[in-house]
Amino acid sequence: MHIPDGYLDLSIAGIFFILSFIVLGYSLYRLRSEKLTSLFGVLSAAIFAAQMLNWPIPGGTSAHFVGGSLAGILLGPYAGALAMAIVLTIQTLVFNDGGITAWGANVWNMAIVNVFLGYYLYQFLSKFNRNLGAFIAGWLGITVAAIFAGFEIGLSTSFAYGLSITIPVMGLWHAILGVIEGIITAGVVAYLATRRADLLEKKEVGRASFALIAVLIALSPIFAYFAEIVGYSEPLENAAEMLELEESPIYEGLLPDYTIPGLDPYIGTLISGAIGVMIVLMLAYAVRYARSSRKDT
Amino acid sequence: MHVVLEKTLKNASSYFQNFLIHEYGVRGTLHAIDARVKLLSSFSFVILAVSTFDLEKLLFLLISLLAVSTVLGVNLKSLFKRVWLFTVFSFIVVSPFLLQNPEYPFLFTLRVLITLISLQLLVMTTSFAEICFAMRSFKIPQLFVHALWLAYRYILVVFQDIVSILLARESRRVAKGSHRDLWKKGGEAIGLFFLRSIERAERIQLAMASRGEKIFEMRAKVGMLEIIYITLSAFIILWWLAL
Repeated sequence: MHIPDGYLDLSIAGIFFILSFIVLGYSLYRLRSEKLTSLFGVLSAAIFAAQMLNWPIPGGTSAHFVGGSLAGILLGPYAGALAMAIVLTIQTLVFNDGGITAWGANVWNMAIVNVFLGYYLYQFLSKFNRNLGAFIAGWLGITVAAIFAGFEIGLSTSFAYGLSITIPVMGLWHAILGVIEGIITAGVVAYLATRRADLLEKKEVGRASFALIAVLIALSPIFAYFAEIVGYSEPLENAAEMLELEESPIYEGLLPDYTIPGLDPYIGTLISGAIGVMIVLMLAYAVRYARSSRKDT
Repeated sequence: MHVVLEKTLKNASSYFQNFLIHEYGVRGTLHAIDARVKLLSSFSFVILAVSTFDLEKLLFLLISLLAVSTVLGVNLKSLFKRVWLFTVFSFIVVSPFLLQNPEYPFLFTLRVLITLISLQLLVMTTSFAEICFAMRSFKIPQLFVHALWLAYRYILVVFQDIVSILLARESRRVAKGSHRDLWKKGGEAIGLFFLRSIERAERIQLAMASRGEKIFEMRAKVGMLEIIYITLSAFIILWWLAL
Protein backbone atom coordinates (compact mmCIF):
# COMPACT_ATOMS: atom_id res chain seq x y z
CA MET A 1 0.00 0.00 0.00
CA HIS A 2 3.09 2.25 0.15
CA ILE A 3 2.76 4.79 -2.65
CA PRO A 4 6.14 5.49 -4.27
CA ASP A 5 7.35 8.79 -5.72
CA GLY A 6 6.12 9.49 -9.23
CA TYR A 7 2.63 8.03 -8.79
CA LEU A 8 1.02 11.12 -7.26
CA ASP A 9 0.62 14.61 -8.69
CA LEU A 10 2.48 17.19 -6.63
CA SER A 11 -0.77 19.05 -5.87
CA ILE A 12 -2.31 15.92 -4.32
CA ALA A 13 0.91 14.96 -2.53
CA GLY A 14 1.01 18.51 -1.10
CA ILE A 15 -2.57 18.39 0.19
CA PHE A 16 -1.90 15.13 2.04
CA PHE A 17 1.34 16.49 3.48
CA ILE A 18 -0.64 19.39 4.95
CA LEU A 19 -3.45 17.19 6.27
CA SER A 20 -0.99 14.73 7.82
CA PHE A 21 1.03 17.53 9.41
CA ILE A 22 -2.15 18.95 10.97
CA VAL A 23 -3.19 15.63 12.55
CA LEU A 24 0.34 14.56 13.58
CA GLY A 25 1.04 18.06 14.93
CA TYR A 26 -2.16 17.92 16.97
CA SER A 27 -1.28 14.42 18.19
CA LEU A 28 2.15 15.66 19.35
CA TYR A 29 0.45 18.60 21.06
CA ARG A 30 -1.93 16.25 22.88
CA LEU A 31 0.95 14.06 24.04
CA ARG A 32 3.35 16.88 24.91
CA SER A 33 3.27 16.34 28.67
CA GLU A 34 3.70 12.58 28.60
CA LYS A 35 7.05 10.80 28.75
CA LEU A 36 6.46 8.55 25.80
CA THR A 37 9.65 8.61 23.73
CA SER A 38 10.65 5.03 24.51
CA LEU A 39 7.09 3.73 24.18
CA PHE A 40 6.83 5.19 20.67
CA GLY A 41 10.31 4.10 19.77
CA VAL A 42 10.14 0.50 20.92
CA LEU A 43 6.55 -0.07 19.84
CA SER A 44 7.25 1.43 16.43
CA ALA A 45 10.15 -0.99 16.12
CA ALA A 46 7.81 -3.80 17.24
CA ILE A 47 5.19 -2.86 14.62
CA PHE A 48 7.95 -2.72 12.03
CA ALA A 49 9.17 -6.21 13.02
CA ALA A 50 5.61 -7.59 13.12
CA GLN A 51 5.10 -6.30 9.57
CA MET A 52 7.80 -8.68 8.43
CA LEU A 53 5.79 -11.74 9.45
CA ASN A 54 4.43 -13.42 6.35
CA TRP A 55 1.15 -15.25 6.91
CA PRO A 56 0.48 -18.04 4.46
CA ILE A 57 -2.83 -17.87 2.62
CA PRO A 58 -4.44 -21.02 1.15
CA GLY A 59 -3.35 -21.16 -2.48
CA GLY A 60 0.34 -20.58 -1.96
CA THR A 61 0.58 -16.83 -1.48
CA SER A 62 1.22 -14.89 1.70
CA ALA A 63 0.32 -11.54 3.24
CA HIS A 64 1.89 -9.36 5.88
CA PHE A 65 0.44 -7.56 8.83
CA VAL A 66 0.18 -3.72 8.78
CA GLY A 67 -0.83 -3.08 12.38
CA GLY A 68 -2.48 0.36 12.11
CA SER A 69 -5.66 -0.61 13.95
CA LEU A 70 -3.70 -2.55 16.57
CA ALA A 71 -1.48 0.48 17.18
CA GLY A 72 -4.62 2.59 17.73
CA ILE A 73 -6.18 0.02 20.09
CA LEU A 74 -2.99 -0.42 22.16
CA LEU A 75 -1.71 3.13 22.27
CA GLY A 76 -4.76 5.25 21.59
CA PRO A 77 -5.28 7.12 18.30
CA TYR A 78 -2.77 9.95 18.85
CA ALA A 79 0.16 7.82 20.01
CA GLY A 80 -0.82 5.08 17.53
CA ALA A 81 -0.77 7.54 14.63
CA LEU A 82 2.66 8.79 15.68
CA ALA A 83 4.03 5.25 16.05
CA MET A 84 2.80 4.33 12.57
CA ALA A 85 4.21 7.59 11.14
CA ILE A 86 7.60 6.64 12.63
CA VAL A 87 7.42 3.21 10.98
CA LEU A 88 6.55 4.81 7.63
CA THR A 89 9.37 7.36 7.96
CA ILE A 90 11.94 4.62 8.56
CA GLN A 91 10.55 2.65 5.63
CA THR A 92 10.92 5.71 3.39
CA LEU A 93 14.32 6.89 4.57
CA VAL A 94 16.05 3.55 5.07
CA PHE A 95 14.36 1.09 2.74
CA ASN A 96 13.03 3.45 0.10
CA ASP A 97 9.64 1.76 0.68
CA GLY A 98 7.19 4.56 -0.12
CA GLY A 99 8.16 7.86 -1.70
CA ILE A 100 9.41 10.98 -0.01
CA THR A 101 6.86 13.17 -1.83
CA ALA A 102 4.19 10.55 -1.13
CA TRP A 103 5.08 10.45 2.60
CA GLY A 104 2.10 12.67 3.47
CA ALA A 105 -0.33 10.43 1.57
CA ASN A 106 1.15 7.23 3.02
CA VAL A 107 0.97 8.64 6.55
CA TRP A 108 -2.59 9.79 5.91
CA ASN A 109 -3.69 6.33 4.76
CA MET A 110 -1.81 4.02 7.10
CA ALA A 111 -1.09 6.18 10.16
CA ILE A 112 -4.20 8.33 10.33
CA VAL A 113 -7.17 6.76 8.50
CA ASN A 114 -6.22 3.19 9.51
CA VAL A 115 -5.33 4.05 13.14
CA PHE A 116 -8.21 6.43 13.91
CA LEU A 117 -10.84 4.35 12.12
CA GLY A 118 -9.53 1.15 13.73
CA TYR A 119 -9.53 2.72 17.17
CA TYR A 120 -13.06 4.11 16.98
CA LEU A 121 -14.51 0.98 15.40
CA TYR A 122 -12.96 -1.09 18.19
CA GLN A 123 -14.22 1.28 20.89
CA PHE A 124 -17.75 1.16 19.48
CA LEU A 125 -17.97 -2.55 18.65
CA SER A 126 -16.11 -3.93 21.67
CA LYS A 127 -19.12 -2.96 23.80
CA PHE A 128 -20.95 -5.82 22.07
CA ASN A 129 -18.13 -8.29 21.40
CA ARG A 130 -14.47 -7.48 22.00
CA ASN A 131 -12.97 -9.99 19.56
CA LEU A 132 -15.43 -9.20 16.81
CA GLY A 133 -14.75 -5.49 17.36
CA ALA A 134 -11.00 -6.06 17.00
CA PHE A 135 -11.51 -8.18 13.87
CA ILE A 136 -13.70 -5.57 12.16
CA ALA A 137 -11.36 -2.75 13.24
CA GLY A 138 -8.38 -4.59 11.72
CA TRP A 139 -10.19 -5.61 8.56
CA LEU A 140 -12.07 -2.39 7.82
CA GLY A 141 -9.19 -0.14 8.92
CA ILE A 142 -6.83 -1.52 6.29
CA THR A 143 -9.54 -1.76 3.61
CA VAL A 144 -10.57 1.89 3.98
CA ALA A 145 -6.91 2.96 4.08
CA ALA A 146 -6.38 1.12 0.77
CA ILE A 147 -9.46 2.80 -0.73
CA PHE A 148 -7.94 6.17 0.21
CA ALA A 149 -4.68 5.15 -1.48
CA GLY A 150 -6.67 4.14 -4.58
CA PHE A 151 -8.42 7.49 -4.52
CA GLU A 152 -5.16 9.45 -4.31
CA ILE A 153 -3.41 7.65 -7.16
CA GLY A 154 -6.59 7.45 -9.25
CA LEU A 155 -7.10 11.19 -9.02
CA SER A 156 -3.49 11.92 -10.01
CA THR A 157 -3.08 12.59 -13.71
CA SER A 158 0.51 11.25 -13.56
CA PHE A 159 -0.95 7.79 -13.06
CA ALA A 160 -2.91 6.88 -16.17
CA TYR A 161 -5.48 4.65 -14.49
CA GLY A 162 -8.64 6.41 -13.35
CA LEU A 163 -10.62 6.14 -10.13
CA SER A 164 -12.87 3.46 -11.66
CA ILE A 165 -9.88 1.12 -11.72
CA THR A 166 -7.68 2.18 -8.80
CA ILE A 167 -10.38 2.21 -6.10
CA PRO A 168 -11.87 -1.23 -6.85
CA VAL A 169 -8.43 -2.82 -7.32
CA MET A 170 -7.01 -1.42 -4.08
CA GLY A 171 -10.25 -1.79 -2.12
CA LEU A 172 -11.15 -5.31 -3.18
CA TRP A 173 -7.67 -6.74 -2.88
CA HIS A 174 -7.18 -5.28 0.58
CA ALA A 175 -10.68 -6.32 1.66
CA ILE A 176 -9.59 -9.89 0.96
CA LEU A 177 -6.12 -9.61 2.52
CA GLY A 178 -7.61 -7.53 5.33
CA VAL A 179 -9.35 -10.63 6.68
CA ILE A 180 -5.93 -11.85 7.90
CA GLU A 181 -5.22 -8.43 9.39
CA GLY A 182 -8.56 -8.69 11.21
CA ILE A 183 -7.89 -12.22 12.48
CA ILE A 184 -4.42 -11.32 13.78
CA THR A 185 -5.69 -8.10 15.38
CA ALA A 186 -8.45 -10.07 17.12
CA GLY A 187 -5.93 -12.74 18.19
CA VAL A 188 -3.58 -10.15 19.71
CA VAL A 189 -6.44 -8.34 21.48
CA ALA A 190 -7.83 -11.62 22.87
CA TYR A 191 -4.40 -12.59 24.17
CA LEU A 192 -3.74 -9.18 25.75
CA ALA A 193 -7.19 -9.16 27.36
CA THR A 194 -6.22 -12.24 29.35
CA ARG A 195 -2.70 -10.99 30.25
CA ARG A 196 -2.79 -7.19 30.51
CA ALA A 197 -6.35 -5.95 30.13
CA ASP A 198 -5.22 -2.48 31.29
CA LEU A 199 -3.56 -1.97 27.89
CA LEU A 200 -6.94 -2.23 26.20
CA GLU A 201 -8.68 0.35 28.36
CA LYS A 202 -10.29 3.28 26.59
CA LYS A 203 -7.81 6.07 25.97
CA GLU A 204 -8.75 9.67 26.70
CA VAL A 205 -9.78 11.39 23.44
CA GLY A 206 -11.59 14.72 23.34
CA ARG A 207 -14.92 14.77 21.52
CA ALA A 208 -14.14 18.00 19.68
CA SER A 209 -10.80 16.69 18.40
CA PHE A 210 -12.44 13.42 17.38
CA ALA A 211 -15.06 15.36 15.42
CA LEU A 212 -12.41 17.56 13.79
CA ILE A 213 -10.21 14.65 12.70
CA ALA A 214 -13.26 12.68 11.50
CA VAL A 215 -14.30 15.69 9.40
CA LEU A 216 -10.76 16.03 7.99
CA ILE A 217 -10.74 12.33 7.04
CA ALA A 218 -14.18 12.57 5.48
CA LEU A 219 -13.32 15.72 3.55
CA SER A 220 -9.81 14.76 2.46
CA PRO A 221 -11.00 13.30 -0.89
CA ILE A 222 -12.71 16.63 -1.62
CA PHE A 223 -9.51 18.56 -0.78
CA ALA A 224 -7.60 16.24 -3.10
CA TYR A 225 -10.18 16.70 -5.84
CA PHE A 226 -9.90 20.49 -5.67
CA ALA A 227 -6.11 20.30 -5.52
CA GLU A 228 -6.21 18.34 -8.76
CA ILE A 229 -8.59 20.86 -10.37
CA VAL A 230 -6.27 23.72 -9.42
CA GLY A 231 -3.37 21.65 -10.79
CA TYR A 232 0.26 22.45 -10.49
CA SER A 233 2.60 24.34 -12.74
CA GLU A 234 5.46 26.72 -12.26
CA PRO A 235 4.16 29.64 -10.12
CA LEU A 236 6.33 32.13 -12.03
CA GLU A 237 4.98 30.88 -15.35
CA ASN A 238 1.43 31.23 -14.05
CA ALA A 239 2.10 34.77 -12.88
CA ALA A 240 3.68 35.71 -16.23
CA GLU A 241 0.73 34.23 -18.10
CA MET A 242 -1.78 36.13 -15.93
CA LEU A 243 0.10 39.38 -16.48
CA GLU A 244 0.45 38.63 -20.21
CA LEU A 245 4.19 39.09 -19.99
CA GLU A 246 6.48 37.86 -22.70
CA GLU A 247 10.02 36.68 -22.38
CA SER A 248 12.58 39.40 -23.13
CA PRO A 249 15.90 38.32 -21.64
CA ILE A 250 18.52 40.92 -20.83
CA TYR A 251 21.24 38.43 -21.60
CA GLU A 252 20.70 35.48 -23.91
CA GLY A 253 23.48 33.42 -22.36
CA LEU A 254 26.29 31.56 -24.05
CA LEU A 255 23.96 28.82 -25.29
CA PRO A 256 20.59 30.51 -25.92
CA ASP A 257 17.74 27.94 -25.71
CA TYR A 258 20.35 25.17 -25.60
CA THR A 259 21.57 25.88 -29.13
CA ILE A 260 24.86 27.15 -30.51
CA PRO A 261 24.43 30.13 -32.82
CA GLY A 262 25.30 29.20 -36.42
CA LEU A 263 24.98 25.45 -35.81
CA ASP A 264 22.16 23.07 -36.69
CA PRO A 265 19.71 23.20 -33.69
CA TYR A 266 19.89 19.42 -33.08
CA ILE A 267 23.68 19.37 -33.10
CA GLY A 268 23.65 22.55 -30.97
CA THR A 269 21.35 20.96 -28.39
CA LEU A 270 23.54 17.86 -28.33
CA ILE A 271 26.71 19.87 -27.77
CA SER A 272 25.10 22.15 -25.18
CA GLY A 273 23.83 19.05 -23.37
CA ALA A 274 27.34 17.65 -23.37
CA ILE A 275 28.66 20.96 -22.03
CA GLY A 276 26.07 20.83 -19.24
CA VAL A 277 27.12 17.32 -18.26
CA MET A 278 30.78 18.39 -18.34
CA ILE A 279 29.99 21.24 -15.94
CA VAL A 280 28.18 18.81 -13.62
CA LEU A 281 31.18 16.47 -13.76
CA MET A 282 33.63 19.31 -13.07
CA LEU A 283 31.62 20.47 -10.08
CA ALA A 284 31.37 16.90 -8.84
CA TYR A 285 35.14 16.54 -9.11
CA ALA A 286 35.50 19.83 -7.24
CA VAL A 287 33.43 18.32 -4.39
CA ARG A 288 35.68 15.28 -4.41
CA TYR A 289 38.80 17.45 -4.39
CA ALA A 290 37.41 19.53 -1.52
CA ARG A 291 36.78 16.30 0.37
CA SER A 292 40.32 15.06 -0.08
CA SER A 293 41.69 18.41 1.09
CA ARG A 294 39.41 18.18 4.16
CA LYS A 295 40.91 14.75 4.90
CA ASP A 296 44.45 16.17 4.66
CA THR A 297 43.84 18.90 7.21
CA MET B 1 4.15 -22.08 12.23
CA HIS B 2 7.31 -23.17 10.38
CA VAL B 3 5.93 -21.63 7.16
CA VAL B 4 5.54 -18.25 8.82
CA LEU B 5 8.99 -18.52 10.32
CA GLU B 6 10.62 -19.58 7.09
CA LYS B 7 8.95 -16.92 4.94
CA THR B 8 9.56 -14.25 7.55
CA LEU B 9 13.24 -15.01 7.90
CA LYS B 10 13.67 -15.10 4.13
CA ASN B 11 11.93 -11.76 3.78
CA ALA B 12 13.77 -10.24 6.72
CA SER B 13 17.23 -11.31 5.61
CA SER B 14 16.89 -9.39 2.36
CA TYR B 15 15.42 -6.45 4.27
CA PHE B 16 18.22 -6.34 6.83
CA GLN B 17 20.87 -6.69 4.17
CA ASN B 18 19.52 -3.38 2.86
CA PHE B 19 19.23 -2.04 6.37
CA LEU B 20 22.91 -2.25 7.17
CA ILE B 21 24.41 -1.50 3.77
CA HIS B 22 24.68 2.25 4.24
CA GLU B 23 25.96 1.91 7.79
CA TYR B 24 28.95 -0.24 6.95
CA GLY B 25 29.46 0.27 3.21
CA VAL B 26 32.52 1.82 1.57
CA ARG B 27 32.62 5.54 2.29
CA GLY B 28 32.80 7.78 -0.75
CA THR B 29 32.87 11.56 -1.03
CA LEU B 30 29.10 11.84 -0.76
CA HIS B 31 29.27 10.22 2.70
CA ALA B 32 31.29 13.17 3.98
CA ILE B 33 28.71 15.78 2.99
CA ASP B 34 26.42 17.18 5.67
CA ALA B 35 23.14 15.21 5.88
CA ARG B 36 21.05 18.41 5.82
CA VAL B 37 22.46 19.36 2.43
CA LYS B 38 21.90 15.85 1.05
CA LEU B 39 18.37 15.67 2.43
CA LEU B 40 17.41 18.95 0.78
CA SER B 41 19.10 18.18 -2.53
CA SER B 42 17.58 14.68 -2.77
CA PHE B 43 14.15 16.09 -1.97
CA SER B 44 14.61 18.76 -4.66
CA PHE B 45 15.64 16.16 -7.27
CA VAL B 46 12.57 14.07 -6.45
CA ILE B 47 10.34 17.14 -6.81
CA LEU B 48 11.93 17.93 -10.19
CA ALA B 49 11.43 14.36 -11.41
CA VAL B 50 7.77 14.17 -10.43
CA SER B 51 6.99 17.61 -11.86
CA THR B 52 7.45 16.70 -15.50
CA PHE B 53 6.87 14.18 -18.28
CA ASP B 54 9.32 15.98 -20.57
CA LEU B 55 11.82 13.45 -21.92
CA GLU B 56 14.60 16.03 -22.28
CA LYS B 57 14.27 17.18 -18.66
CA LEU B 58 14.04 13.63 -17.34
CA LEU B 59 17.07 12.45 -19.31
CA PHE B 60 19.07 15.47 -18.21
CA LEU B 61 18.21 14.72 -14.57
CA LEU B 62 19.03 11.03 -14.92
CA ILE B 63 22.40 11.66 -16.58
CA SER B 64 23.28 14.35 -14.03
CA LEU B 65 22.42 12.11 -11.08
CA LEU B 66 24.37 9.20 -12.53
CA ALA B 67 27.35 11.49 -13.16
CA VAL B 68 27.19 12.81 -9.60
CA SER B 69 26.86 9.27 -8.20
CA THR B 70 29.84 7.99 -10.20
CA VAL B 71 32.15 10.86 -9.38
CA LEU B 72 31.22 11.08 -5.71
CA GLY B 73 31.84 7.44 -4.96
CA VAL B 74 28.42 5.78 -5.06
CA ASN B 75 28.74 2.24 -6.35
CA LEU B 76 26.53 2.14 -9.47
CA LYS B 77 26.11 -1.62 -9.23
CA SER B 78 24.76 -1.36 -5.68
CA LEU B 79 22.63 1.60 -6.73
CA PHE B 80 20.96 -0.35 -9.56
CA LYS B 81 20.54 -3.39 -7.33
CA ARG B 82 18.45 -1.22 -5.02
CA VAL B 83 16.32 0.48 -7.66
CA TRP B 84 15.73 -2.02 -10.47
CA LEU B 85 12.96 -4.02 -8.87
CA PHE B 86 10.55 -1.18 -8.31
CA THR B 87 11.42 0.36 -11.67
CA VAL B 88 10.50 -2.87 -13.45
CA PHE B 89 7.36 -3.21 -11.32
CA SER B 90 6.29 0.34 -12.27
CA PHE B 91 6.80 -0.43 -15.94
CA ILE B 92 4.67 -3.57 -15.67
CA VAL B 93 1.91 -1.62 -13.90
CA VAL B 94 1.61 0.94 -16.70
CA SER B 95 2.52 -1.37 -19.62
CA PRO B 96 -1.15 -1.81 -20.69
CA PHE B 97 -0.86 1.75 -22.05
CA LEU B 98 1.90 0.76 -24.49
CA LEU B 99 -0.48 0.50 -27.45
CA GLN B 100 -2.62 3.49 -26.57
CA ASN B 101 0.21 5.89 -25.74
CA PRO B 102 3.60 4.24 -26.32
CA GLU B 103 5.60 7.09 -24.74
CA TYR B 104 3.74 7.14 -21.43
CA PRO B 105 4.95 3.86 -19.86
CA PHE B 106 8.58 4.75 -20.58
CA LEU B 107 8.31 8.30 -19.26
CA PHE B 108 6.41 7.15 -16.17
CA THR B 109 9.04 4.49 -15.44
CA LEU B 110 11.85 6.97 -16.04
CA ARG B 111 10.30 9.33 -13.47
CA VAL B 112 10.08 6.53 -10.92
CA LEU B 113 13.68 5.46 -11.62
CA ILE B 114 14.97 9.02 -11.11
CA THR B 115 13.09 9.46 -7.83
CA LEU B 116 14.49 6.16 -6.56
CA ILE B 117 18.05 7.14 -7.53
CA SER B 118 17.61 10.59 -5.93
CA LEU B 119 16.55 9.09 -2.64
CA GLN B 120 19.28 6.45 -2.78
CA LEU B 121 21.89 9.23 -3.02
CA LEU B 122 20.76 10.09 0.51
CA VAL B 123 19.96 6.63 1.86
CA MET B 124 23.15 4.88 0.70
CA THR B 125 25.50 7.58 1.92
CA THR B 126 23.99 8.79 5.19
CA SER B 127 23.72 7.08 8.54
CA PHE B 128 20.30 7.19 10.14
CA ALA B 129 21.70 9.16 13.11
CA GLU B 130 22.76 11.89 10.66
CA ILE B 131 19.32 11.87 9.03
CA CYS B 132 17.71 12.26 12.47
CA PHE B 133 20.11 15.10 13.26
CA ALA B 134 19.19 16.78 9.96
CA MET B 135 15.50 16.43 10.80
CA ARG B 136 16.06 18.05 14.20
CA SER B 137 17.93 20.89 12.46
CA PHE B 138 14.82 21.47 10.34
CA LYS B 139 12.82 21.83 13.56
CA ILE B 140 10.93 18.57 13.35
CA PRO B 141 9.63 18.00 16.92
CA GLN B 142 12.06 16.38 19.32
CA LEU B 143 9.63 13.70 20.50
CA PHE B 144 9.12 12.48 16.94
CA VAL B 145 12.81 12.48 15.98
CA HIS B 146 13.99 10.86 19.21
CA ALA B 147 11.35 8.15 18.93
CA LEU B 148 12.37 7.65 15.30
CA TRP B 149 15.98 7.14 16.34
CA LEU B 150 15.01 4.75 19.13
CA ALA B 151 12.79 2.75 16.78
CA TYR B 152 15.64 2.41 14.31
CA ARG B 153 18.03 1.24 17.03
CA TYR B 154 15.59 -1.33 18.38
CA ILE B 155 14.41 -2.90 15.13
CA LEU B 156 17.03 -5.65 15.18
CA VAL B 157 16.57 -6.28 18.90
CA VAL B 158 12.80 -6.65 18.71
CA PHE B 159 13.09 -8.72 15.56
CA GLN B 160 15.29 -11.20 17.44
CA ASP B 161 12.56 -11.27 20.08
CA ILE B 162 9.83 -12.15 17.60
CA VAL B 163 11.94 -14.86 15.99
CA SER B 164 12.72 -16.46 19.36
CA ILE B 165 9.01 -16.46 20.26
CA LEU B 166 8.16 -18.16 16.96
CA LEU B 167 11.02 -20.66 17.35
CA ALA B 168 9.93 -21.54 20.89
CA ARG B 169 6.37 -22.14 19.73
CA GLU B 170 7.57 -24.17 16.76
CA SER B 171 9.74 -26.37 18.99
CA ARG B 172 6.74 -27.09 21.24
CA ARG B 173 4.41 -27.93 18.35
CA VAL B 174 3.52 -31.61 18.00
CA ALA B 175 0.94 -31.62 15.21
CA LYS B 176 0.49 -29.82 11.91
CA GLY B 177 -2.28 -27.29 12.43
CA SER B 178 -4.78 -25.84 9.96
CA HIS B 179 -4.55 -22.27 8.62
CA ARG B 180 -7.11 -21.25 11.22
CA ASP B 181 -4.94 -22.71 13.98
CA LEU B 182 -1.88 -21.02 12.60
CA TRP B 183 -3.52 -17.60 12.50
CA LYS B 184 -4.91 -18.04 16.02
CA LYS B 185 -1.55 -19.15 17.42
CA GLY B 186 0.14 -16.42 15.39
CA GLY B 187 -2.14 -13.80 16.95
CA GLU B 188 -1.17 -15.08 20.40
CA ALA B 189 2.52 -15.00 19.48
CA ILE B 190 2.28 -11.39 18.32
CA GLY B 191 0.27 -10.58 21.47
CA LEU B 192 3.09 -11.95 23.61
CA PHE B 193 5.61 -10.10 21.47
CA PHE B 194 3.79 -6.76 21.93
CA LEU B 195 3.50 -7.40 25.64
CA ARG B 196 7.25 -7.97 25.89
CA SER B 197 7.89 -4.89 23.77
CA ILE B 198 5.72 -2.71 26.01
CA GLU B 199 7.49 -4.00 29.09
CA ARG B 200 10.85 -3.39 27.41
CA ALA B 201 9.73 0.16 26.55
CA GLU B 202 8.78 0.75 30.18
CA ARG B 203 12.23 -0.40 31.34
CA ILE B 204 13.97 1.75 28.73
CA GLN B 205 11.89 4.78 29.73
CA LEU B 206 13.00 4.34 33.35
CA ALA B 207 16.63 3.91 32.29
CA MET B 208 16.42 7.00 30.08
CA ALA B 209 14.86 9.02 32.88
CA SER B 210 17.68 8.03 35.21
CA ARG B 211 20.26 9.13 32.63
CA GLY B 212 18.60 12.43 31.80
CA GLU B 213 16.79 11.34 28.61
CA LYS B 214 19.45 12.55 26.19
CA ILE B 215 19.01 10.48 23.03
CA PHE B 216 21.68 11.80 20.74
CA GLU B 217 23.68 14.88 20.12
CA MET B 218 25.53 15.68 16.94
CA ARG B 219 27.22 18.68 15.52
CA ALA B 220 27.85 19.46 11.89
CA LYS B 221 29.06 22.40 9.93
CA VAL B 222 28.69 23.57 6.39
CA GLY B 223 32.20 23.76 4.87
CA MET B 224 33.70 24.04 1.41
CA LEU B 225 32.59 20.52 0.47
CA GLU B 226 28.97 21.34 1.24
CA ILE B 227 29.14 24.68 -0.58
CA ILE B 228 30.41 22.99 -3.74
CA TYR B 229 27.73 20.28 -3.47
CA ILE B 230 25.06 22.96 -3.02
CA THR B 231 26.43 24.73 -6.12
CA LEU B 232 26.34 21.46 -8.04
CA SER B 233 22.74 20.76 -7.00
CA ALA B 234 21.72 24.35 -7.74
CA PHE B 235 23.30 24.08 -11.18
CA ILE B 236 21.33 20.90 -11.93
CA ILE B 237 18.10 22.48 -10.68
CA LEU B 238 18.59 25.72 -12.63
CA TRP B 239 19.55 23.91 -15.82
CA TRP B 240 16.46 21.70 -15.43
CA LEU B 241 14.26 24.78 -14.94
CA ALA B 242 15.74 26.42 -18.00
CA LEU B 243 15.23 23.37 -20.25
